Amino acid sequence: MNRQEELLDELYDVTIDGDREAVVALTNEGLALGMKPLDLLFDALIPALEEVGLLFEAGTFFVPEMLVAAGAMQGAMDVLRPLLAQTGAKPVGTFVMGTVKGDIHDIGKNLCNIMLEGAGFEVFDLGVNVPEQVFVEAIREHRPQAVGMSAFLTTTIPMFTPTIEAIQQAGLREEVLIYVGGAPVTQAYCDSIGADGYAPNASALVRDLKTRLGIGS
Amino acid sequence: MNRRERFRRITTFQEADRVPVDMGSHVASIHRLCYQKLRAYLQDEELQNQDKILDRMVQNVVPDEKLLQRYHVDFRWIAPNWIDVTDVSQDIYRDMWGIEWQYMLDAYSVYSSPLSHARTTADIDNHPWPDPEHPDLVRGVGEHAKRLYENTDYVLVADSIKGGLLTKALQIRGYQQMFADLVNNVPLAEALLDKLLDLYKLFWTQFLRRVGPYVQMVYFTDDIGGQQSMMISPDTFRQLIKPRLANLIDHIKSQADVKFMYHTDGTVTPVIEDIIEMGVDVLNPIQTSALGMNTAVLKELYHGRLCFHGAIDVQQMLPFSTPEEVRYDVAKRLYDLARGGGYILAPCHNIGSDVPPANVEALYAAAHELGGYPIAVDHILREEDRRPPTAVDIARQAAPQKRVRRPRPRRRE
Repeated sequence: MNRQEELLDELYDVTIDGDREAVVALTNEGLALGMKPLDLLFDALIPALEEVGLLFEAGTFFVPEMLVAAGAMQGAMDVLRPLLAQTGAKPVGTFVMGTVKGDIHDIGKNLCNIMLEGAGFEVFDLGVNVPEQVFVEAIREHRPQAVGMSAFLTTTIPMFTPTIEAIQQAGLREEVLIYVGGAPVTQAYCDSIGADGYAPNASALVRDLKTRLGIGS
Repeated sequence: MNRRERFRRITTFQEADRVPVDMGSHVASIHRLCYQKLRAYLQDEELQNQDKILDRMVQNVVPDEKLLQRYHVDFRWIAPNWIDVTDVSQDIYRDMWGIEWQYMLDAYSVYSSPLSHARTTADIDNHPWPDPEHPDLVRGVGEHAKRLYENTDYVLVADSIKGGLLTKALQIRGYQQMFADLVNNVPLAEALLDKLLDLYKLFWTQFLRRVGPYVQMVYFTDDIGGQQSMMISPDTFRQLIKPRLANLIDHIKSQADVKFMYHTDGTVTPVIEDIIEMGVDVLNPIQTSALGMNTAVLKELYHGRLCFHGAIDVQQMLPFSTPEEVRYDVAKRLYDLARGGGYILAPCHNIGSDVPPANVEALYAAAHELGGYPIAVDHILREEDRRPPTAVDIARQAAPQKRVRRPRPRRRE
């Protein structure tokens, strides 16, 4: 095996391990060897994060392991993002994300963002306690394929409805897929409020979104 | 039957006259907005305490004695006092740990964590920790417990300083930072957990010196479970949390003749054997809306070794059901958990502002109607809710399958 193949294997492993320092070092080494940013991304980093998602869904990984893997991926992305911009590589899609008004829980949302970015999406994170109109404005500005709303409490999931209505009233409802998620959310609740999709975790969100947008893995 | 005798029988896995019923801890009381609605619904202007906040963070109230009697609640809670709470701004306060909480909608959430920038164990040592032996923390609790012990037959429970071991560490360090420390900076995580353990042990020593002779149970609130899986891995729990909790439980039981009730929301099925090994007598709150928390399976696997407290779901069931559905759920939990003793019926968390008052009434009315021994609810339950758990259900819960990490997939050219 040549050093480049070996490096991709190592990069894949240390990303899953969540070793940010090693991920950054290997990313820099790969670039110095003349490897393409897109190859590092698609041959090591993205498969690593997909595997992390599967390990999470299978109950082998938990939130801590997923957070550090995502943090390690971010380390590589900080190095690669400017280079990818130079190559003119387009993101596979655009996603607007936020935690609804009245709720400041953000770990689930942040994990979704990182998994989405890891899958090649450009993500605009509106943060927490996001009013309806801020979602509307962000959809106008960024023209995403999908928007995600997060809520952690039974008392804040009712905010999905006015937010969806605001998007409807702005005439933007047909342009975006609307995803809802968070601890108390279920598929039945998603259906009852007229959202398009629900996912129980970040990895399932990415898989569902890619299927709907016709993006192969 | 005397309530303490009822409790003794139930927690030693014998049937009694009735299934004990609970409400009123820091984490399982009633939100003030629900309480106001309930007061209006009952048309009872004598019902007091609508402004008497029990825990500022979740905005629940100390339920009026009159309501506890209406609902035949068998327990009375002895909680330490809140000290060193400072208003930072109109909607933010700081607690004794230095954690700041921001008001949002109808409760407070963590706004800032004092050790989020900690890098070394020295940063943890240098934090201005609260004094666990501060006399104001326990002022009046001994007299209160003694009065209840001597003049009533209620089961008395010592509530903890709210927040537990892992939960408190997450709040002080910041959720993302602490989760990450558990994987890639274990010495820092351990230093914080050890510091908290030391403080809790000192606190319990002085608390139990006052209430120990009077309480029948001690409660410790932590959270290790999430909605779909545990928040941390079973291995992390076993390595970092379990030994410290076992140490705390030994410490508490060496000072008072009490049952120990451990609280964790969410799903915790992979570590229930560990929880028993730690010395836990009663597991609370059995969040049935979390994945895998199947009451029939829990009873099958752990009856005789672990009691259950709670199981009345406040996340999906109580807010979104009709009173008839609430009664059905009570029947189901009694059927699954109460036979042979070992079950205390209670809402699994605070009854939230979104719960209709009619459902609160239905819950306690059903508990009283159906909670007498022998449990006879077969006529209420559908056949599928009376089936014993299958071998497959049990096997899945006892030994969840693990996924082995795949090597890097080779790209197809």
